[in-house]
Amino acid sequence: MSGNKVIQFVLDRMIWFILLLVISFFGWRVGFETYLAPSNLINILLHASVLGVLTIGQTMCLLSGNFDLSAEGTMSLVIVLAAWLMLPIRGEAFLETGGGGWLLSPFLVVPIMLVVGAVVGVINGTLISRLNMNNYTVTLSMQLILRGLGTVISMGAIMPGTPPLFNWLGGGRVGTIPVSVVFTLVLYAVFAYVLKNYRFGRELYAVGGNLQAALASGFRPKRMITWSYGLSGLMAAFAGWMLLGRLEVSVATLGTGMTLETVAAAVIGGVALTGGAGTIWGAFSGVLLLSVVGNGLNLMDVDPFAVNAVRGLIILIALFIDAQKVRYKPQVARSKAPPAQQARA
Amino acid sequence: MNETKTSTATKPILEMLGIGKVFPGVQALEAVDLTVMAGEIHGLLGKNGAGKSTLMAALMGILPVDAGSITIDGDTFTSMNPRDALGAGVAYVPQRINMMNPLTVAENVLAGMMPVNTVGFVAWGEVYGEAEQRLKQLGLVLDVRARVEGLSVADQTMLAIAKALFSNAKLIILDEPTATLPRPGVDRLFDFVRSLKTHGVAFIYISHHLEEVFEICDRVTVLRNGRLVETRDVQDLDTPTLIRLMVGEDVKEFEREQAGAVHGDEVMVVSNLVRRGHYEEISFTLHRGEVLGLAGLEGSGAASLAKGLFGLERRGQGAVQVAGRAYTADTPDEAFAQGVAYLPQDRYLYGIVGARPVRENVTYPILKRLVRGLGLINRSEERILVQNYVDQLGIVTPSQEQAVSLLSGGNQQKVVFAKLATTTPHVLILHEPTQGVDVHAKVDIYRIVSELAAQGVGILIISSEVRELLGVCDSILVMYRGRITACFPSGAPASTPESILLAIEGGTVHVGQ
Amino acid sequence: MGNLKSGNLFILLVENLIWVLVLVAVVIFSMMSDNFLSMYNLVNIFVRVAALGLLVIGQSFTLITGNFDLSSESTMGLTAMVGGLLIAAASTGGLDWKVNPLIAIAVMLVLGCLIGLINGILITRLMMNNLIVTVAMLLILRGVTYVISPGQSTSFFPELFNFLGSGFVYRIPLANGRYLPIPAAAIFLVLMFIVGHVVARYRRFGRNMYAVGSNRAAAEAAGIDSQRVILAAYIVSGLFAALAGLLEAGRMDSATPRMGAGMIFSVQAAAVIGGISLFGGRGTMIGAFGGVLLWGILDTGLNILQVSPFWVEVSRGLLLLFAVFLDATKARYLQRVAIRSALIGNPIGL
Repeated sequence: MSGNKVIQFVLDRMIWFILLLVISFFGWRVGFETYLAPSNLINILLHASVLGVLTIGQTMCLLSGNFDLSAEGTMSLVIVLAAWLMLPIRGEAFLETGGGGWLLSPFLVVPIMLVVGAVVGVINGTLISRLNMNNYTVTLSMQLILRGLGTVISMGAIMPGTPPLFNWLGGGRVGTIPVSVVFTLVLYAVFAYVLKNYRFGRELYAVGGNLQAALASGFRPKRMITWSYGLSGLMAAFAGWMLLGRLEVSVATLGTGMTLETVAAAVIGGVALTGGAGTIWGAFSGVLLLSVVGNGLNLMDVDPFAVNAVRGLIILIALFIDAQKVRYKPQVARSKAPPAQQARA
Repeated sequence: MNETKTSTATKPILEMLGIGKVFPGVQALEAVDLTVMAGEIHGLLGKNGAGKSTLMAALMGILPVDAGSITIDGDTFTSMNPRDALGAGVAYVPQRINMMNPLTVAENVLAGMMPVNTVGFVAWGEVYGEAEQRLKQLGLVLDVRARVEGLSVADQTMLAIAKALFSNAKLIILDEPTATLPRPGVDRLFDFVRSLKTHGVAFIYISHHLEEVFEICDRVTVLRNGRLVETRDVQDLDTPTLIRLMVGEDVKEFEREQAGAVHGDEVMVVSNLVRRGHYEEISFTLHRGEVLGLAGLEGSGAASLAKGLFGLERRGQGAVQVAGRAYTADTPDEAFAQGVAYLPQDRYLYGIVGARPVRENVTYPILKRLVRGLGLINRSEERILVQNYVDQLGIVTPSQEQAVSLLSGGNQQKVVFAKLATTTPHVLILHEPTQGVDVHAKVDIYRIVSELAAQGVGILIISSEVRELLGVCDSILVMYRGRITACFPSGAPASTPESILLAIEGGTVHVGQ
Repeated sequence: MGNLKSGNLFILLVENLIWVLVLVAVVIFSMMSDNFLSMYNLVNIFVRVAALGLLVIGQSFTLITGNFDLSSESTMGLTAMVGGLLIAAASTGGLDWKVNPLIAIAVMLVLGCLIGLINGILITRLMMNNLIVTVAMLLILRGVTYVISPGQSTSFFPELFNFLGSGFVYRIPLANGRYLPIPAAAIFLVLMFIVGHVVARYRRFGRNMYAVGSNRAAAEAAGIDSQRVILAAYIVSGLFAALAGLLEAGRMDSATPRMGAGMIFSVQAAAVIGGISLFGGRGTMIGAFGGVLLWGILDTGLNILQVSPFWVEVSRGLLLLFAVFLDATKARYLQRVAIRSALIGNPIGL
């Protein structure tokens, strides 16, 4: 059995091994001084920050046994909304840039963004847990609605020139380190701590691990699911704040394709698609891997679009490994009830 | 399949000889023989855990046997797999149908062999016609255009049987087919099954409803504790004898020093609880320190009552009082708060979060007590508390951090017990507490039960293990078809395993107090 | 039993909901604008949703077997780009190979089938999760499309190649003496849906798809090779994605790397609204066609009303939400009916 245990150990930490391997590869190809220079490392973390924040939200949903396909829509909506609220009014001519002319202060706009994000999340969670609607289609349709609302507000125009105060999270620096990197790391640390040591974390894992048993143990799964979606929406809002602040311009198609990357990052990092297993730092390792690959290929002058293809490949491999993990898990006792009576496999 | 068989009932279609099966620590089956004749309806009886499911699993090739042989229609197998079983003509009809539910009856019957015209297009007229024909040949009339999911349960069961026959099944295992059927459905099913005897089809009929066994079976095999008790013609039996065969003369495994004794105040009063389709006129009183048993078959309403009292299912109309106050819990967390705890029948489904460690599973309901500030868990307090219970209950685990799924069945059950005990309930409802638990753990569990009773907790045990109930309960209520039909106080002369089992199966009704 | 009859009416309504919605939409839009019911507009609807419709056919095949194919939008983009590269001159972005259009078309279709084959093998033989595999393929194929494209689009294709997308087949004489040309795309769309319906309803393969999707184990027990069926469904999906690529490239007379990006959500939504269940085994191609129609109606209707195009996406999302809500309600209703019929004859608690 101990042979199995070794395999188990390696598979569980597979992601860090892979990360190490990949970093070594890029370092070798590009030259270690260039690759491991502080400026490049910071670059890697910078690219990882938006994806990272989004992945926190996705991980919350995954842990509770669900997933959120609408987070990127939330993010783009709050970005558009924020730009529109802060920027001077757009001219009438076609292709004029600008916002709605409200000229609201960032101190007002940021809380609005966060509230909108959280509310969207709560709506998702309520539809899914209380109205028993399918999580795939609910978040899918929400995605359509949110993106649509975003384009309604922006009318396809780009809105540049967000105020410096607003840009602080996305573009500011603390010494040499970008604020967004610090923010992301702090967020991860906070969530990791809470999940491990707070009742909230226990309840989340229990609901994701076995919803019926969690219910019979006195937890409230519906509330927990709503919370996890609410958090996902909130994180999407933070990610939006960060992204807009960094780019300083709102463009209609921001964030396309990030949803799948958040799921992939989490799964790569060991978060089970079925719920109840995995850690926040694990998800972070997945985010890191995707960023490292992107950064490394960039430094190697690889066509940026090929990078996407490679990222897709990584996802496939990661999931293949994930599927293998099930084979090596120690035999779990099976329920004695006949299969027809088992509500949840 | 190749030789023509004479349709006399003297040819055995199935001969299972000397079947033995060992699981770690448990001899599930020992030297069991089962012979079924062609055209016979053969009942297979025994309490839960007697070995019926294991024997059938062996017959279907799902479980390998450690000893013995299986001969089906002349072909002998020393080792079986599901494909062998299917090929030999063994079919299993489960309680909940497993067919292509959104599709029509006709498509289910003809799946994989849909009639097509010369150009290869499905000829729907023929499809419906042929399906109807095939069913009619068996004497079954169904609307072939109807979707399977829209059929009544009786029709679904009959369709499943028909499908098995279309696959050349010679021996069909019916597993509790009547549990969810109303009387008219039972009649139709039985008429259908009887008509198939003339085709030489044999049935193994598994059921707890003894009256039905007498109605439909020709012979009966009784298992007990993994051993064959007897195989007899039904006409040579009557209900009391049958029950005696099922229950036997086992030594009681546990005997609680009855208080019969001094019970405290009323801790739970149930008045006229009614839930449509499940139970009605349920009234009883539970006192502090009292252990009350509730026995009933599946479909008697006992299980729904237990879950309803805890808030896992709807409770229906009626008044319940716990510790002198009105009991209003609609969800488990409210139930815990108002002093009621429930040990589920299926611990894998409702009891444990297997992937998480022992420590976490034990403290789920009471985390609020171990928490500081916004929810920061006091780990050291938690560890001490859990260790306490681990020691007291004798939970065998390498450490508190062990994932619960890795523990043995008995220890998993103890973990659930510990979890419930932490909530210091007024009333503890136990649902089949010793199911899937080895002998040693069983004794431990009943010891825990009597200790809890001694501490003043009111205990309600729902179980079908009549002997175990007699060993530990102060009195036993029997439920049948949604009502409480009998009460057997411990020590009373009428409180014998036989009479209790009789009441469970719907026999003569005593109105006890 | 009267109760059940009216209940059956409810179910009938819900399952054919899409046509109710289509009717309502047509009525509303025609009331709000005179232009809506014009022949020109009605034909236009078909053209606008042609590519979407082809993708929906392929998607429906896999959904009926109980699987997802999220990669078809990328297959569409990739095959279109490959075709474009083969055909176009170097000056307009191509490889200057001057390949015969018919051969290029054949290559596209084969490529589509191949991608479907890969998907199918990964999912049935390597037992990988269908959602994730096709998502990964979505990313990979899109990336490959960008890589092989010269950074821009390829354009100016020969008329033969463009025929499906922008050619005309027939001319209907109109009341005012003019003629209305019927686009090949519209005819092709309808034709393909008919083919799809015929296969789904009248071929053994089609019925096997439903069997596998509703209960894979039972289908296997009936002797159906479920792996083959699922594999075939993915190949079909790939093929139709290639057809969609051909159509769209012909319509725009160019192939861009972004073609089809983001469409997959609409594809799924149209299928679901049309009655194809995400759980497999349910739904008809006719219903799916209705879903596609509805999509087109919304698109052109809101356009005619000069509503900002951006609201279209919102309304689609809302519609999908509504459809799913109804689906969940239907499931709950069916459950209650089942309980009620079980209670008939069971007098406990009455």
